[in-house]
Amino acid sequence: MNIAIILGSLALGAYIIAIVESWATYGRLRLAGPALAALALLGRESVLARKPDRLFFETAPVLLLVAGLLAVAVIPLAPDLIITDLSSGALFLNAALAYVLVALIMAGWGANGAYGMIGGWRFLGQFIAYAMLIVMPITAVAMRAESLMTTQIVISQVELWNIFYQPIGFVLFVIAAMGLAYLPPLDLPLAPGDLAGGVEAEYTGVRLGVLRLARMIIILSLAGATVTFYLGGWLGPWLPPWAWSAIKILVVTVAMLMAGHYMPRIREARYLALSWKLGISLALANIFLVGVIALVVPI
Amino acid sequence: MSASIQYLILFGLTVGTVGFVVSLYALARAIGRTRIEPGKNVPATAGSLSRDPVWVRYHARYTGYALLFLAFDMEMAFMYPWSVVYRQEGLVALLDMGVFLAILFLGLLYGWSQGALRRQ
Repeated sequence: MNIAIILGSLALGAYIIAIVESWATYGRLRLAGPALAALALLGRESVLARKPDRLFFETAPVLLLVAGLLAVAVIPLAPDLIITDLSSGALFLNAALAYVLVALIMAGWGANGAYGMIGGWRFLGQFIAYAMLIVMPITAVAMRAESLMTTQIVISQVELWNIFYQPIGFVLFVIAAMGLAYLPPLDLPLAPGDLAGGVEAEYTGVRLGVLRLARMIIILSLAGATVTFYLGGWLGPWLPPWAWSAIKILVVTVAMLMAGHYMPRIREARYLALSWKLGISLALANIFLVGVIALVVPI
Repeated sequence: MSASIQYLILFGLTVGTVGFVVSLYALARAIGRTRIEPGKNVPATAGSLSRDPVWVRYHARYTGYALLFLAFDMEMAFMYPWSVVYRQEGLVALLDMGVFLAILFLGLLYGWSQGALRRQ
């Protein structure tokens, strides 16, 4: 039952986000837009490239979707509304999202096209930049919660949300999450206008549809992770828990999608330099600060 | 819920996702198949056939970062269990991991001073 509710709300959320993304990109609010686009992709020919690595080419969209859904499985929408409350939930989220890199490299390699290949390798560089900044802030969150269970992490924030307890970690995590979901300013593997679609360049028809759906799920799972780790998950007054989760996740997603509107694309070398020189130092400082606070203050 | 059931659910989710995608492909195939026409399946390189092979060796220009990444990623394997028992262990845990992280951070600074943190 829980699984059906979560998958249904996931589909609804993906639809809403698709509307918001096209609104943010083209400046027009079209409520039926995503449905029409999905139908069009379904009816369109799905061309296989000339000399593909068939295994990689076919696996990539499926793997991306599986990675996104497995990440969603450990995100709680309400105290008992969660697919699997794993005792190693926060770690499992990392493990699932590590496959995003694998899937994108496969997608870039599989089609045997130059643009896709460059997009895939770029994402590998981007991965080295964001990967540590995903895991290090989560460690600080787990230190406070004394658990890797995502529900425990939410409960640990009853007194004070983590966004106020460890603001440095929050900022680092959101930026790294945007790199992981390859959202603009950090959309190097796609880079429209530069790589002609990058890893998506050789995908058409229903395969492209699956790739795009998978990316929506990944964006949602990362927004869910941000809400769970930093914004108090389902906690909030008056409204029922699931409503708070939904509101927070949508707000975080919209903020992530809108950020690209106000920033130019960041080159991979610059992103690497920034996240290793500034980001890692701040993340280590964050762990130390949280460690001291957690020992001094009981909350 | 016991751990084995949880992993069974996750496995079922994976299989279900694959099934969903396969049924989508079948639906698309039922609507219409891809017609094979000359020149249609050429990878997008500004409309012409790509002259050079694509599967060649690339110069990864982030090798310095990649080596440091390995060191830091191994460190995370110790950090997760440490973070769970951190409050129980108290100051000892902070000092232990503090020394470890300080050494690692010095390694980062050393790599930085040797020019590892730039595009090569």
